[in-house]
Amino acid sequence: MADRRLHEFVRALRGAQIRISPVEAEEALRAAALIGYHPREQFRETLAQTLVKAQVDRARFDQCFDDFFHFESIAADGDEDAEVGALPDTTDMDTGDLSETTANLLAQSPEQLTQSLAEAAAQQDFTAMQVITQQGLFARQLVMNMGMGAVDDDILRLAASPRRRDQNRAEQLRDWRQQVRERASQYVRRQFELHGRAHGRALREHTMRAAPFRELREYHQIQDLVRRMARRLAALHQRRQKRAKRGAMDARRTLVSSLRYNAVPVQLHWRERRKLKSKVYVICDVSGSVREAARFLLQFLYAMNDVLPQVRSFAFAARFDEVTDDFRQYHPEVAVGRILDRVSGSGTDYGYMFESFQEACGREIDRRSTVIILGDARNNDLPAGEEHLAEISRRARQVFWLNPEHPSRWNSGDAIMAKYEPYCRAARRCSSLNDLSRFVDYLLRALNNAQ
Amino acid sequence: MKTRIDSVDDVIASFARQGYICDQRTALAVYLAAQLQKPILVEGPPGVGKTELAKSAAAFLEAPLIRLQCYEGLDESRALYEWKYGKQLLYTQLLRDKLSSLLSDTENLEQGMARLGDLGDAFYSDTFLEPRPLLRALRAEEPVVLLIDEIDKADQEFEAFLLELLSDFQISIPELGTVRARHRPLVFLTSNDQRELSDALKRRCLHLYIPYPEPDLERRIVAERVPELGDRLREQLVSFIQHLREQDMKKLPAISETLDWARALVLLHADSLEPELVEQTLTLILKNEQDVTLARGLLPHWFSKQRAG
Repeated sequence: MADRRLHEFVRALRGAQIRISPVEAEEALRAAALIGYHPREQFRETLAQTLVKAQVDRARFDQCFDDFFHFESIAADGDEDAEVGALPDTTDMDTGDLSETTANLLAQSPEQLTQSLAEAAAQQDFTAMQVITQQGLFARQLVMNMGMGAVDDDILRLAASPRRRDQNRAEQLRDWRQQVRERASQYVRRQFELHGRAHGRALREHTMRAAPFRELREYHQIQDLVRRMARRLAALHQRRQKRAKRGAMDARRTLVSSLRYNAVPVQLHWRERRKLKSKVYVICDVSGSVREAARFLLQFLYAMNDVLPQVRSFAFAARFDEVTDDFRQYHPEVAVGRILDRVSGSGTDYGYMFESFQEACGREIDRRSTVIILGDARNNDLPAGEEHLAEISRRARQVFWLNPEHPSRWNSGDAIMAKYEPYCRAARRCSSLNDLSRFVDYLLRALNNAQ
Repeated sequence: MKTRIDSVDDVIASFARQGYICDQRTALAVYLAAQLQKPILVEGPPGVGKTELAKSAAAFLEAPLIRLQCYEGLDESRALYEWKYGKQLLYTQLLRDKLSSLLSDTENLEQGMARLGDLGDAFYSDTFLEPRPLLRALRAEEPVVLLIDEIDKADQEFEAFLLELLSDFQISIPELGTVRARHRPLVFLTSNDQRELSDALKRRCLHLYIPYPEPDLERRIVAERVPELGDRLREQLVSFIQHLREQDMKKLPAISETLDWARALVLLHADSLEPELVEQTLTLILKNEQDVTLARGLLPHWFSKQRAG
């Protein structure tokens, strides 16, 4: 029984995005068997040490633990839940003509009753709950498992009796049944949050990755997702970098060290490939519809600080300004607000932007520089200024253009992508997190391979 | 090595006898690791006593401690074993005559090679093997505590190489075959979180995070390690350090710095914290110029609050 509970708990943890392998789950069982379930804190710590291998996951683990072992804590500490209040004491109720099961249930103290509820709950598999509407069904099953079916029968019988006293007792029993049911529903709700949430979350994340940026505001876990996607990608590329480091054999060092061994080259030495530090410049249009894409692009790039240490970012709408420090120092939400205060206004002018960018860092653009431009290329019929982009493109290693709109609209209306595209190594559509993550992956490969 | 650990409290009590004050969770980790025979990965900021924990565990279990300090570029020949090339060459030189007499009666090259082949094993035997920490731990006559310090500084490849050792306590040496541990060592790995360790490694270990100590624990540690320090001064010192840890600093003072400071204050015969005294000794706890400046700025406020409180 205890093993099954723990396996369910592991499933709940997996639902909360904590990665746990079967071996680790097995290990947790052994450890729990060794330590026992009391005291609670020690039990919690035992599971944490065997299951949670990253400190960032610890808070989520604690939350899950409290939710999952909620009943156990009441049973163990007699600590009643304030939300629902204590179950009424029914031990002194008249049970003379009631069924045996009902009498037994009524004779239990509130603590014992909670215990029975926990025991009944332990027989049920709550991990099968996937959608919110299943809660009612599971709560009914739980109450039935406790033997409350007999209580229903007794209530019906008493209510049908002509005697006034019996009818009062039926009323009393109904009240009590209601409270037990509430307690059961509350338990089931917690379980749903643990297990059902996992399915829901996987589904939601799938949607979030493919949703257009402007709709993402509605999801509040989005920050977390962006951070995780970025970390994953960063870890992947860190490994790639390491592998690419070893270069050709270092003949000089190998010869020198061979002198120790009678000129036999016992140890070979390798040259390390020198890495060019690449510099990345990001220029974002933050007017209207493009703003959301800019927010996520910048957030993504700064979350990848480990593999992309040198990123300078610029924003423009009516004005042009450097925003590197805003994103380094502030939460993305705050940073975006600050930036908008400084540069917003109507009428984006790409020609002016290229000019200002050249003025600001034209001199330091060299063959290590990558310039990324994010914008819809809607220039309000102003001069395109493509000669500036040509100059930037000539000096830099590469220029990428990200456009949040569908390629079919890149040249419709006042959009003039066709003028800028020849100077870009690649122009890509970037309208969702999936697009963004693919682009960053592509960018990192381009940066690493080119060395 | 002590084979039986009775309980978690047993660990706490024994650690305390050696002057290592730890909380329940640390003791629990040591207990679990010993009972389940799993390695422990100890993470936490620098200076909170990760390495010290392994040393105390070794003393507690009455087992020798074998330490492997990791660094970038650490490879198998430094960590596991190395052939003593020099010795091998020297022997062949010295034994040259012997060899030629041995080979003199062979009629052709093939026969000579065959005979040399038989000798070859002699050159790749224990005589010429230089065991490094990992091999020493595996081949030890008695169970040992193995400390793999700062694993995050080693390369990813080395981490992968450790996997076989950590899960099966055995390691493959091409010339000798598989070496299995005679007794399973208790393994501690420490990491300062310089880089993310691989999931495969984490999966094989228990995980213990040692944070900066709570005020109460820190007071107990100071009382144990620097008993000469007066009660009042200890109180002030710990509360000041805890206050510093709440600040946004480059390098927060850890417990090792608290102890250094406490010892210094004893030497200076201080009996309470005074602004000038703190200012003069700040560099003992803060190792970064900007942090020191920041802390100086905090002093007046902190002292006025102390007087009021």
